Amino acid sequence: MLKSLSVNARIFLVVAVGFGVFAIAASADFQAPNVHQGYAPEQPIAYSHRTHAGELGIDCLYCHYGARTSPVAGIPATGLCMNCHATVTAGLDAVVAEREQAEAESRPAATILSPEIAKLWAAQGLDVNGQPAGEPHPIPWVRVHNLPDFVAFDHSVHVNRGLACATCHGPVQTMERVRQESDLSMGWCLDCHRGKAADPTLVLNAEHGRLPAGEHVSTDCSACHY
Amino acid sequence: MTTPSEQHWFKDPDAHRSAVGSRADDRAASREGHADARDTQFDRRSFLRLVGFSVAAAGVSGCSPAPPQTVMALFEPPVEIVPGRAYWIATTSWADGSGSGVLVRCRDGRPIKVEGNPSHPVNQGGLTAACQASLLALYDSHRFDGPRRDGAAATWDEVDTAVRAKLDEVRSAGGTVRLLTSTLTGPSTLEQIDALLASVPDGRHVMYDALSCSALLDAQQALRGVRVLPRYDFSRAKVLAAFDADVLGTWISPAGFAADRQQARDVHAEPPRMSRHWQLEARLSLTGTRADRRVRLAPWETTAALAELGSELAGFAGVTAPGPRPDASALPQATRTALHELAQELWAQRTESLVVCGTNARDAQLLTAWINAQLGSEGTTFHLDTPSLQRQGDDAALQRLRDELLTGAVDLLIVAGANPAYDLPDFAEALGQAGTLVSLASLPDETSALATIVCPEPHELERWDDAEPIAGLYSTTQPTVPALRDTRTLRASLARWRGDARDDRELLVDHWRRELDSRRPSPRTGFDAWFHAVLERGWTELPSAQPFRPAAFRPAPVAAALTRIAANAGAPADGALGLVLHPKVGLLDGRGAHNPWLQELPDPVTKVVWDNHVDLSPATAERLGLRTGDIVTVSATDDAPSADLTLPVLVQPGQDDRVAAIALGYGRAGTDRFTAVGPEWLQGRRTVEPGGTIGANVAPWLRWRAGALDYSGRTVRLTATGGRHELAITQDHHNLSVPAHLAPPGGEVRDAVRLVTFPQLQADPEHVLGGGHTPVGELWDDDHIPAGHHWGMAIDLSACTGCSACVVGCQAENNIPVVGRDEVRRHREMSWLRIDRYYADQPDGGVDVVHQPMMCQHCAHAPCETVCPVLATMHSSEGLNTQVYNRCVGTRYCANNCPYKTRRFNWFDYAHDDQLLNMVLNPEVTIRSRGVMEKCSLCVQRIQGAKALAGREGRELADGDIQTACQQSCPTRAITFGDLNDPNSALSRRIATGRSYRALEELNVQPGVHYLADVRNDAGSKGGGHG
Repeated sequence: MLKSLSVNARIFLVVAVGFGVFAIAASADFQAPNVHQGYAPEQPIAYSHRTHAGELGIDCLYCHYGARTSPVAGIPATGLCMNCHATVTAGLDAVVAEREQAEAESRPAATILSPEIAKLWAAQGLDVNGQPAGEPHPIPWVRVHNLPDFVAFDHSVHVNRGLACATCHGPVQTMERVRQESDLSMGWCLDCHRGKAADPTLVLNAEHGRLPAGEHVSTDCSACHY
Repeated sequence: MTTPSEQHWFKDPDAHRSAVGSRADDRAASREGHADARDTQFDRRSFLRLVGFSVAAAGVSGCSPAPPQTVMALFEPPVEIVPGRAYWIATTSWADGSGSGVLVRCRDGRPIKVEGNPSHPVNQGGLTAACQASLLALYDSHRFDGPRRDGAAATWDEVDTAVRAKLDEVRSAGGTVRLLTSTLTGPSTLEQIDALLASVPDGRHVMYDALSCSALLDAQQALRGVRVLPRYDFSRAKVLAAFDADVLGTWISPAGFAADRQQARDVHAEPPRMSRHWQLEARLSLTGTRADRRVRLAPWETTAALAELGSELAGFAGVTAPGPRPDASALPQATRTALHELAQELWAQRTESLVVCGTNARDAQLLTAWINAQLGSEGTTFHLDTPSLQRQGDDAALQRLRDELLTGAVDLLIVAGANPAYDLPDFAEALGQAGTLVSLASLPDETSALATIVCPEPHELERWDDAEPIAGLYSTTQPTVPALRDTRTLRASLARWRGDARDDRELLVDHWRRELDSRRPSPRTGFDAWFHAVLERGWTELPSAQPFRPAAFRPAPVAAALTRIAANAGAPADGALGLVLHPKVGLLDGRGAHNPWLQELPDPVTKVVWDNHVDLSPATAERLGLRTGDIVTVSATDDAPSADLTLPVLVQPGQDDRVAAIALGYGRAGTDRFTAVGPEWLQGRRTVEPGGTIGANVAPWLRWRAGALDYSGRTVRLTATGGRHELAITQDHHNLSVPAHLAPPGGEVRDAVRLVTFPQLQADPEHVLGGGHTPVGELWDDDHIPAGHHWGMAIDLSACTGCSACVVGCQAENNIPVVGRDEVRRHREMSWLRIDRYYADQPDGGVDVVHQPMMCQHCAHAPCETVCPVLATMHSSEGLNTQVYNRCVGTRYCANNCPYKTRRFNWFDYAHDDQLLNMVLNPEVTIRSRGVMEKCSLCVQRIQGAKALAGREGRELADGDIQTACQQSCPTRAITFGDLNDPNSALSRRIATGRSYRALEELNVQPGVHYLADVRNDAGSKGGGHG
């Protein structure tokens, strides 16, 4: 086929193909699928899901309450953290140690503020003693799960139909630092939408799991792409 | 309307005229279209192979993770707001001057869509294009940020001190203070105005409307003793005659009027209702296009015609007219005959008929009121005891203010919510004579440029306010977003200048607590709970502060008016033309000129974007040797001198041969901001040159006559300059017709629109359209029949007024970019929903018009799907024709193969660098990038959203749960969306009627969008059921 072309046309094709490769590769928009599986970036605060969701058994939806009624699960507002962390200021060991030492020294126990919770307090505009100090500022969390802009994913749809968070997010309760467990590729979505969704054993939470009559698990492009 | 039995519908009058004989243009066009096909050296397979290699190679090199993104957490969890979930706020919009109730859809603290409030009595759920587009004005980065003094930024303290010092000076020296505003109805604001003006020796509040109804109010004052606008109820009008009033497009409260009028024309009701609508006007207005019978009437004939009509009615009633019957012989015979017929029809339906007149001339309005009094329809089709307060402007007071200003007698002039330097004739000079001019403009305008002090007001979506658009109807305005700019409302500014430091909300709530709370009927709940409930609903009804008690009709002013009528007074001399100045539905009086959505909204009748122009009838244009796009100089031939205008000509069928019409609202200062609108590329031309304006301002051509602003009394002469200006007109874009030499025999005419008459419909409602087209063979298998839902749509052409609210609604909902004038000229407008406007010639030289909203028809046998090489356009299991942007490689084969021409290609990455403007984008819809095809998705995001909601609530999806953006915005409910598979859905019931058809049915592509034939209440017409 190439032989049938003139020299100029051949040169043109080589240049065009080369340019295409370069342009696509150089574009920040182009991302091959599956490259983010296992992504576990360092976060500004070493928040441990293992401690909170695993050891303490706090429900995912306590912090990520948006998942119940909104397309996005949401990063909890720091005020929500302060519901507990206004009083829970450090690990139990450190607090107990300080209390015992204070008792031994016959003095009131000091507030022990762990370095990580100190960051939370600072973000709320509080100093180590819980007094107002400086402007509050948002915590720049690093996004772990990021779908492309041309995909519409609705957490509430999946949560309300009985899918457990772990189905997609993996055993977050065991993760010290959250990592992307699934590859979040379209094929991975379709694995479920095509086959497993028909499998009744997948409905992990029978209490909430329901698919309205007349609705089916869709494999239409327009289920997610619009 | 007498039309031949076979109507030939056409969109572009120029093409229509040249269609006979010459095929050269068609051949040129087809050559152009096939230019790319010549290079056949390199076959398709080889090309794809290379592309595949190229992409694979890029894939290898592109396997790096995306750059990290940060997510900022909020401080406190917001109450009642779930991040990512939409919520609604009820408020009021004055963007079209009607005080319509709106529901604002917000997400994460920012409004993303403005929709009509279905419960609101003013607009009943529909919303005009201007109100919908007001959302974009909120995010306008050109708005003032903070007060200004002497052209430089200042603090609120500085400007307040300066204004207070001026007020003190006025108080001690006995000077005058004037407040000039557009119509204001908010009781809490009026209270502050009264308080401030009472604190100075000579204070007065002057209201004016740039689109004035002053003469109408003056006439009511003279005849009934109350200076109010009647509250019209078009739903009760069995016969409606509108003289020069664009009731459905721009007049007073178009969304509400259209909704009311549609109620009187509901052919689905039992028994079917169909009012009779007469339109008597010079230019072809939007309302004129929807009339059952349209009579062309020159502006100087209006009073004589009204007098003739009134005298005729007096004859029927057997009473003596209050004045002499004027000589009607100057009116053309056809007009006199028509008026005689109209009089008979009105008289036959007296007490249930209505005559309205949009001419801002006292005599015309006196005669109109006299006619309505004779018809005895007060209390049925109009009300004066609960009048409309939407227009209160007083042109006589305005003229007095101008004289005062010119003599230097005004020490302090405060201008709020108005732009007199732009929209009034000779006012800029007068404003310059004010001692101190304070402007409350929120966007730099012609008036604020003259002002010493600027105290910008917030946008109506970011402030507290109240309004009383109709006596006793109190409508509230709430902020939907924290103020984006450092601004203050008129109410707060006035209070501050009196030393009252309370904020906006406090002033409002305090007023309601003191003044309105006690008017509630007992038993009363607590104020806070009640006020909260009012805010939640957006409006409430209470007795008005002062009752309106119109006196008995006084005939004396009518008698005087009848004696004043002189034959053909104001008619142009030979060779001259009458000038009609009129607003367009988008820009209105110019308030929308900084809004790119409105600038790029095709005018419903002319289909021109980004320009105003001199409209001429085809006969006049031919007589003057002018074509569309010829630049002419417009010079005055009457005694009032005006600087010549230079504007392009547009040939407008249906217009009176004796007039030229020009749209107001253009030529606004600062519209050269649109220099950068649209893509920049090698052959791209700017929408406007730096320092230029979009269109030309014709407001200086308005004239004061008999205490009112005269919009149609001038006479002009046109002189061709020899220049040409290529208007951006979308009317010939995306045509459904086939060039004659390419059409199959018998298929030359493809009529997408159908029109029947009401008598035809009544005679045989089931088969009114005759037999359907027989499909010519079967190209596709019926292999994907939706089993569950099958989404579809029905559009009732008899309800569609062409008002284009849906076009802007779609643009806002679906993140449709603005492309600029030059790209529109290249047929590259991106609108997913367009309104095709079809003309059919009438024997008397007029035209029949049908408006047809046209969007992706979601064909079951979609021709686009079969030609897509990458399966980027696919059929969903619910009957949607879906477009998958991330699959699309931009071959454009689909657009080529679409018989409805509804697909749009992204030739560019349209600008998204204005961060503030980007806040308007709907986060539920993808921003399409360059090189992909897009089109109507039937608002699939709303379908998915409604399904998600039903799932959360554990119920089945109900009919009506899903409303598309176009459907929601439609004032006349012409659009019905629903499930074709549900036999009980509103949609299924509509398409089961005899008027239902599908566009280009003969192609057998089986569209999911159905149309219901237009219905005219005209026995004379044979209709064109089928072509």
